[in-house]
Amino acid sequence: MSILEAQHDLSAFRQAIRDWLAEVVPSDWKARMARASNEEYIAFQRWWMAERSKVGLAIPHWPKEYGGAGLSQRHLIAVADEMARADAPQNRLFTISLIHMPGTLLPHGTEAQKRRYLAGVANGEVWCQGFSEPNSGSDLASLRCRAVRDGDHYVINGQKIWSSNSMYADHCLLLTRTDPNAQKHRGITYFIMDMRSPGVEVRPIRQANGRAEFGELFLTDVRIPAGNMIGAENNGWRVAQATLASERGVISFEGGERQRYEIEAFYRKSLEAGAAWLRDAQLHREFVSFLAEMQAARRLLRRVLQESETPSASASVLPSIVKLSSTALRQRICSFMVRIGGVDGQAFALLAEEPFGSPMFDFLSAFSGTIAGGTNEIQRNIVAERGLGMPRV
Amino acid sequence: MEKEALGPTSTLDQATLDALRESIASVLAEQCGSIELHTFVDGKNALDKTLWAQAGQLGWLGLGIPEQFGGLGMGAQGLAILHGELGRQSAPGPYIATLSAAQTIVETGGNDIRQTWLPRLGSGEVSAAVPATLDRHSLTRSGAGVSGTLRCLGGVDAAFLLAPADDAWAIVDLAGAEVTVAPMWDRTRNVIDVRLTNASPVGILPDAAATCAALTRTMALAVAADSAGGARSITERTIAYMKTREQFGQPIAGFQALKHRAADLATKLAVADEMVRHAVQRTVTDEPDAELWAMLAKSEVTEACVFVTTDCVQLHGGVGFTWDFDPHIFLKRARLNEVLIMANTALRDRAAAALAAMTSSGRSALELEL
Repeated sequence: MSILEAQHDLSAFRQAIRDWLAEVVPSDWKARMARASNEEYIAFQRWWMAERSKVGLAIPHWPKEYGGAGLSQRHLIAVADEMARADAPQNRLFTISLIHMPGTLLPHGTEAQKRRYLAGVANGEVWCQGFSEPNSGSDLASLRCRAVRDGDHYVINGQKIWSSNSMYADHCLLLTRTDPNAQKHRGITYFIMDMRSPGVEVRPIRQANGRAEFGELFLTDVRIPAGNMIGAENNGWRVAQATLASERGVISFEGGERQRYEIEAFYRKSLEAGAAWLRDAQLHREFVSFLAEMQAARRLLRRVLQESETPSASASVLPSIVKLSSTALRQRICSFMVRIGGVDGQAFALLAEEPFGSPMFDFLSAFSGTIAGGTNEIQRNIVAERGLGMPRV
Repeated sequence: MEKEALGPTSTLDQATLDALRESIASVLAEQCGSIELHTFVDGKNALDKTLWAQAGQLGWLGLGIPEQFGGLGMGAQGLAILHGELGRQSAPGPYIATLSAAQTIVETGGNDIRQTWLPRLGSGEVSAAVPATLDRHSLTRSGAGVSGTLRCLGGVDAAFLLAPADDAWAIVDLAGAEVTVAPMWDRTRNVIDVRLTNASPVGILPDAAATCAALTRTMALAVAADSAGGARSITERTIAYMKTREQFGQPIAGFQALKHRAADLATKLAVADEMVRHAVQRTVTDEPDAELWAMLAKSEVTEACVFVTTDCVQLHGGVGFTWDFDPHIFLKRARLNEVLIMANTALRDRAAAALAAMTSSGRSALELEL
């Protein structure tokens, strides 16, 4: 029975995923990726998406009319759980394609846009997000990238930054300024931009952890057909809220589950090897404290998932609370790993085969959690103002 | 010693738990508000006594006791809600000692002991005392008598003490014992010094290890729930105050430096609540890691509560340091909770040992339902 055929029995569905993962995931994929070049990594990501697509797990949660399998959130959680359990590759190259794009198009896109773009993801189309600008980070609504109407097109001029995987992207979710005279939230328009349009230049940004996952977009007289507008002109800010809200949920859940297996494997190896840090009572205490926080975080992530299916979900600040606690915990766990890793732990390595095998890389990478997707300082504002009712002044 | 097997406790549904929480909260809000609490702290009412009588009548004291012994059979989930709500109001009384002693008797007491004590504990007719810390001192047993001095959590009028006595645990009637109150900074709970000279135990729990483990776990859950409730309550009170207190021509709740601190407190509270729920859940389904998670919940949540209550004093400014405002009451309760059972470092050491043992035997302590 194929995976999708087993969908009516959740445990059979899980078993089918398990069998498929055992068959298809190369046992040495982490070792290979630890030594891979950027190009090899991207090729591997595309291969993985193609494999998922073959068994109907590329976009299983989307409605059937747009190429998905119409699976429930419970199924999606089961998929994420099995992926984490099997330590299968993640879909990093396709995060925007799988989460943000449908999260935006399903509620706000036209029928033609949904038909054109949604199914393309299963064929490996990569999306990126053009939101932040060099001078519009936390204050996103101050963005200045201009879009000016010219017949049945808009002409775009400006700059975007922190656009993950934009170097490999086919399409971009783009926020632009159409009315510079309106109040800042009211003059923004949302577009789908073809990344192969003339005038789009992408430069990778090298990060502190040595990798270059982000790109900077320079847009010069880029022409976008008016039919690529999502929502109405000057209504882009409202549409963008759907994009931002889509980040919550299953992807964070999977991250929490992966960390559980990672930290458990690390601990088992430490015990087997009689690692020196285990003989330091204070470090061992610190470690069990992390586990207590990790279990709490995993429970909170489950709550976010439950809540996401209720009508009040958009008003909840729980996703912000979860981001604050989980990302800070991740940072402290990675910092712990650096401390116990000694000088060896700081030997230069990017990806690692072993869990926490390159602690300094993990520690540096953990900043993407506390900074990306709305910095933790912005999350604190959200919790205080929307959650605790403290006044905005 | 005969011991009737108890059926497994079933997991209660959320609606039942919410209804229980609401009913307890409404009674406590009415009877144990800030004014009543301050009056009690100043020795000008008998709030502890009136609340205790009320708790007995409403069945609160029998929440965790199985139905065949006159209780409501709501187990660890019911108890966590009660302790959480008592913590929210900093309610005075010997709840942690009495309810934890009762739960321990449920788990490791023989039928005669259960039948003698559980109905009386559940109705509020008697209260109990237990050692304030479980890893230090023991009574000594010689012949039929037990002797020794123990610093205990419990009321001065506690009917009995449940304490280790060499290779077993003893229930000692305190009617003729020398009991003196040790005044604490936290006035909402009583610490007593019990001095026994060749006293005759009225009951023996022979399995010392199981009894100690049961009391450690039930007290840990109680203290953690109390701390989580207290921390949440004083945070809410503090934020309410910050919205009314004006400086520089605006409510201080509008200052970003203070908002960020409040958001961090809210985050700590969310994590603390989940730690308590997780430990309770592992106990309810009787997992092999239940004790591990209870010990971690106590150590983590009591420390979070100390952090939160300390910050709430500071966030109040000058009035936070006064006797007339609420923060100091919660801070003092938090500090006592922090040191009960045993030092948090010792609890973490035990949790680490349990984790290592489980992991080495190929089991996971990190299972969590979807």
